[in-house]
This record gives sequence, structure tokens and C-alpha cells, in this order.
Amino acid sequence: MTHLDIELQHLKAETIKMWTLVNLQLNKGKESLIKLDKDLAREVILSERRVNAYELKLDRDCENIFALFNPVAVDLRFVLAVLKINNNLERTGDIVEGIAKFVLNVDHTFDKQVLEITRVVEMYLATNNMMETVLEAFDKEDTSLARKVFQQDELVDEINVNANKIVADYIRSHPDNVEGALYLLSIIRKLERVGDQAKNMAEEIIFYIEAKVLKHRSKVEKSN
Amino acid sequence: MYKIESKNVDFFYGTSQALKNINIAIMQNTVTALIGPSGCGKSTYLRLFNRMNDLIGNTKLTGQILIDGEDIYAKGVNVDSLRKNVGMVFQKPNPFPKTIFENVAYGLRVNGVTDKKLIEERVETSIKQVVLWDEVKDKLKKSAFELSGGQQQRLCIARALAIQPSVILMDEPTSALDPISTSKVEELIYELKSKYTIVIVTHNMQQAGRVSDTTAFFYMGELIEYDNTKTIFTNPKIERTQNYITGRFG
Amino acid sequence: MIDIKENKLARSKQRKQAIAFAIFRVLSYSIVAILFIILTFIIMKGVKVINWNFITQMPEEGMTKGGIYPAIIGTLCLVAGSMIFAFPIGVLAAIYMNEYVKDGIAKKIIKQMTNNLAGIPSIVFGLFGMSLFVNKLHFGDSILAGSLTLGLLALPVVIRTTEEALKAVDNTFRQASLGLGATKWQTTRRVVLPISFPNIITGLILAIGRVSGETAPILFTVAAYFLPKLPTSIFDQAMALPYHLYVISTSGTNIEESRPIAYGTAMVLIIIVLIANLLANGLRKYFGNKVKMN
Repeated sequence: MTHLDIELQHLKAETIKMWTLVNLQLNKGKESLIKLDKDLAREVILSERRVNAYELKLDRDCENIFALFNPVAVDLRFVLAVLKINNNLERTGDIVEGIAKFVLNVDHTFDKQVLEITRVVEMYLATNNMMETVLEAFDKEDTSLARKVFQQDELVDEINVNANKIVADYIRSHPDNVEGALYLLSIIRKLERVGDQAKNMAEEIIFYIEAKVLKHRSKVEKSN
Repeated sequence: MYKIESKNVDFFYGTSQALKNINIAIMQNTVTALIGPSGCGKSTYLRLFNRMNDLIGNTKLTGQILIDGEDIYAKGVNVDSLRKNVGMVFQKPNPFPKTIFENVAYGLRVNGVTDKKLIEERVETSIKQVVLWDEVKDKLKKSAFELSGGQQQRLCIARALAIQPSVILMDEPTSALDPISTSKVEELIYELKSKYTIVIVTHNMQQAGRVSDTTAFFYMGELIEYDNTKTIFTNPKIERTQNYITGRFG
Repeated sequence: MIDIKENKLARSKQRKQAIAFAIFRVLSYSIVAILFIILTFIIMKGVKVINWNFITQMPEEGMTKGGIYPAIIGTLCLVAGSMIFAFPIGVLAAIYMNEYVKDGIAKKIIKQMTNNLAGIPSIVFGLFGMSLFVNKLHFGDSILAGSLTLGLLALPVVIRTTEEALKAVDNTFRQASLGLGATKWQTTRRVVLPISFPNIITGLILAIGRVSGETAPILFTVAAYFLPKLPTSIFDQAMALPYHLYVISTSGTNIEESRPIAYGTAMVLIIIVLIANLLANGLRKYFGNKVKMN
């Protein structure tokens, strides 16, 4: 194994560590939302610092590899992909932090029924799934796994599209719980963005392995 | 403590000053690259560490060069012992016109080793260290010149390793080799680092990036910048260094 | 327009080159021709006396018949003697000059002196040899005196050729050896000498060729026209081919009748030199292969 191989392996390992942390954060966020557990939410917010630290380190690692080794071909694509995935992960971390902050701020008047009718938990589970799938695709360098993510996103999309109407109806019938409902709507938007991040990461993986650029293409093209 | 240090070193060829006030401290088990344009003094500086410049008449050195804390230019220093501890690999592979075995054994013989078994062991160990054993184990009695350029250079490295130095100096060791041999030698350097302290002069900046922990940039006999290789290649502190590295001059 | 001019220029260049090469060719062939003429002349005149007896018999009847055996033996002794003296000293001197002395005024002076020594006329060597070895040191006219004198003559030749041989060794080998902790002498003995050996031997043999034909130095120090017996010790006088040739042709007892023997002697002498040169080439090739220089 060459020196560069060792560095690339190390980079991959570090990326997976950060990714695992972010996925864990996502899970905890879900649990804290379902149970409205403020302690759990606080944990998530605290751990966000570690995610940020990882982002800085990975950025520097990528920079060093470019500067010292001038990688080419698949090595170059890999480091470029990691650079972008690093970004995606950091933003995902931010999103989860936002969700946790909502849970912290919610008060006892919040109606759990909203959670059910909006199917937000289902949506959350779907995004969890997507993130797990993409992580596995990255680890195993499996592009068909990466492509699965685009299908999984359909459920996320569906729930997001329907959420407006459902929340609007709820607000009309429960004018005292408007704030909570609006918070929930913003959580749904956030989750939709998590789905986007997962899709972006999948595109990066497919790019680095197949040198195929899938950005800005239609859904159908992506799934194939 | 540092393995190698140079303190306020000036060096003159006759009246012309080749090195000006060089201060460098090198840690043990690291690879230090010396880079800079042609004629900047990096090879001259390298040769101070094993006193090869003694062979040239009319030179003057001021300042101190310490290895393991001792001034190697002090009176009474045995130059042959110094060179046993500080090995050198040259730009063009230069195996002796002898057999492969005798090439690697040479250093042992001239340093008084006569134990046949010991010599055989050391020769085998050294050749294995440079990942050449499988390629030559059946032709140890053949002339070293029958090897390819890359193999010859690795043989020269084995020859230097056989006498168990603690420091290895390399003067552009891959500039005469093809790319594959070059990368083999670079990998070798990376592996040798754990046992030896290596100082390498290189014209090829990318090579410095690939193999070294610290890099010293020389220009016209002066040390412009000396820092971790990562820093030099991502964010050098001196503009001249950046200009050189980005290829914007020299 | 330009094309025509270029053509004219090209043709004139070609013409000039053709003329130059033609001149070189004529000169080269002339040299070969001259050598050829000399050899043919000598061979034609001398071949009739060459036979086994000629080489192995003592001269008879006032040099008009018989062989030149003692002269051959004498020349061989002198050659051996001079080389025993000149070779080790010359090689060591060259090693010292090339490997040990640093560049500087001392080196320049020594080099100049060596060159001057090479330029001294051989008869002056003879006179010097006579003064020092024959008279002052009381060796008398002897093989010893002759060898030493011829040795002095050969010394600059050996030094120069050895120096060239040593210089031809790539310095990178010395550096590699010294870099491994070897001393200068170890380096010289184990690396430089083995590599330069073929060329040093060549120098030796060229010196032999030179020394076998020298007449003037042996004139005063060893040579006798006629000795009834072969020399038995280094303090004896000896006959020698060049001197023999000289005397037979100019002041012998019966010049005309001895003439063929003179030519025969010349032929033997040339053959010895030719053999020496061929040997030099052969040895150089043989050792060159052994050393396997790149």
C-alpha cells in the first residue's frame, strides 16, 4: 500500500466516523421529538460541536491530500466527493440541531395528535433510512445502493407535499395550537432538506465511483 | 533533543559564499526535504552532514553541525566513523563494478568485519529492507550492472543500510529513474523513516510533498523557510516560498 | 528565390566537406602507407636471416654468421629490470598525485616536473646514468645500471599513463566508497585500482615497447658489442638489440657481410614491440570484460 493509499483510507475512515455521528444525532433527534424529551434534545445540541469539529478536520485533511499528493483520476474524484459530503454532513448536523432546539422550546400545550396526522414520524424514519443507506453505499462503494436513495426520497416528498394542507386544516380546527403546528411544519421542511442532503451525497458517491455526473438531472434519470 | 542540528552555518568555496547562516533542527525518524532552484546550496548543505565537502580543497565552514548533540567538525572527530553513521545515496545509481553481494558487503568489509556469517546476514537483511531480495536472491554473484536503473539505486540504498547508519542522506535519489522506480524508492523512504532519520535533496517538489515530514526551502544560499511539509504546501509563510512552490518563478 | 539560394549554399557546404574528407583520407592512408613501407623494407631485407638458429644461437665469425641470442636475452633482462624499478614507483607516484594531493600549486609543480622529465633527451639519461650508477655508485657497466637508467626514462611514461587511467575512473565510485566510511587507501585499493587496472597494464606494456628500443641510455651503462658468455648476474654487462643493430651497421668488423644480420635484428626488435602492443590490446580487452564497466 502506498503512502497515498494510507491517507485515503484514513480519510474514508474519518468520514465514516463523522457520518455515524450525524446519523446518531438524527436518531436521537427523532426520539426526542417522539417523546418530546428535552434532555435528549439537549444532548443533541451539545454534540453538534463535535460534528463541527469533524467538519474542520476533514476539510484540512482533504486540503493536505491535494497539496501533498496531487491525486488524479479516481483518487481525485474521491477526495472531491469527501469534501462535498463533508459539507452535506455538516448541514445535516445543523438541521438536526434545529429540530432539537424546537423540542427544547416546545411547551406543554403541544398536541401530539399533530405528529400523527402529518406522519412526521414516518417521514423521519424514511430520512433515517436514507442516511443509513447512503452511508452503507459510501462504505461499500456500492452505487446501486446509492441509487436506492432516490426512490426512498419519494415517500419523503409525498409527506412534505401533503403537509401544508394537513397542517392548514388542523390550524383551522385548533386555533389555540397554531404555534406548535407551525413549528411542526418547519420540522417537516427541515426533514425534507435532510432528504436533499442524502440525495446530494448519493450523487457524489456515484460521481466518484462511476465518474458520472448526476447533478441537475431528472428523478427518472437518477434512479437508473 | 534533535538528531541533526546546524547552527549559524556559513560555507565558502574559496571566497564565494555558498551558504548563509543556516539554522535547522531535525528530529529523529523524520524525513526532511531540501528544495530550491538549481545552485541554491541544498546539495552543498547536505554534504556537510557526512563531511563529503572535505574532499574539495579550499573550502571553509563556520558555525556548528551537530549530530546526536556532537559537533562533527570538532578536532579529533573520526571522519570514517562519522560516515559509518551517516550514509549517502547519490543522484545517479553508482554500484561498484562488483557482484551484487560484494556491493552490499563492501561497507562491512572496509569497516573491518570479517565474520562471514555476519556479512551474509547483513547483506540479506539489507537487500530485503529495500524490497529487492526476491529479485536478486538467485543472482547475488552476478554483476550489479546487470540490474535495471531502479534496482541499482535500491541496491545502493541497501549498500548504505548494511553498515547500520542512523542517518541517511539522499541527493536527488530518483532524478535518474523512471516513474515506477521512482515511486518504489519513495515508498521505501516512507518505510525506512521508522528506523532512520532521512534528509533528501529533491528537484521535484511533488516528491517533497509525498515523502517528507518537514521541508526546507533554499534560495541563493539562504534558508528562506523551514516548516512542516503540510504547512509549506498549503500555506507557506514567506511569499518567496509560495512563488517557488506554485512555479511562479525559478 | 530563397530556395535557389539555399540550394547553392547547401551545395557549397557539401563540396567543402567533401574536399576536407578527401584530404583526411589521403593523409590517413599515407600514414598507413609509410608504416607499411618501413615494415616491408625491413622484412624484405631481414627475413632471409630469420630462423630458429638466429634467435637461439650465439653470434659467430665476427657477427657475420650465427644468431643474436645474447642480444635478445640482454634486451629482455633490461626490460624486466627497468620495469621492476619503474612500474611500482610510477604507479604509486601516480596514485599519490591523483588520489591524495589536493589541487594547488604543489600539484602543478610536480606535474610540470614530470612532464619535463619525460622531455629529457634519452642520451642525457644515458650520461646521467653513467655518472650516477656506473661511476658514483660503482655498479660499473652492468645490467643493474642499465635497468635503473632505462627505468628513469620509463618512469614519466608509467606515471602519465597510470594517472590517465586513474583519472578515467568516475569520481562517483570514490565518493560512494568514502561515503561508506572507507579510507582513501581502501578506496584506491578496492575500487579505483581494479577499475583502472586494464589501462594501467596498457601503460606498462607501452612503456616496455618504448624501453626495448632505446639505444642511447644503454650506450653508457650496460651495452657491450660482443660478449662470449651470457650475463650471469646483474652486475654483468649485456648485449642489447638496439645497440647491436647500431654497431653492426656502423663499426663492426665486417659491415657489408653483417648487414643482413642488422636487418634481422631490426626485424626482431620490431616484432618484440608489435607483440607488446598486441598484448596490450589483448590484455585490455580481457580485463575490461572482467571489470564489466558500464
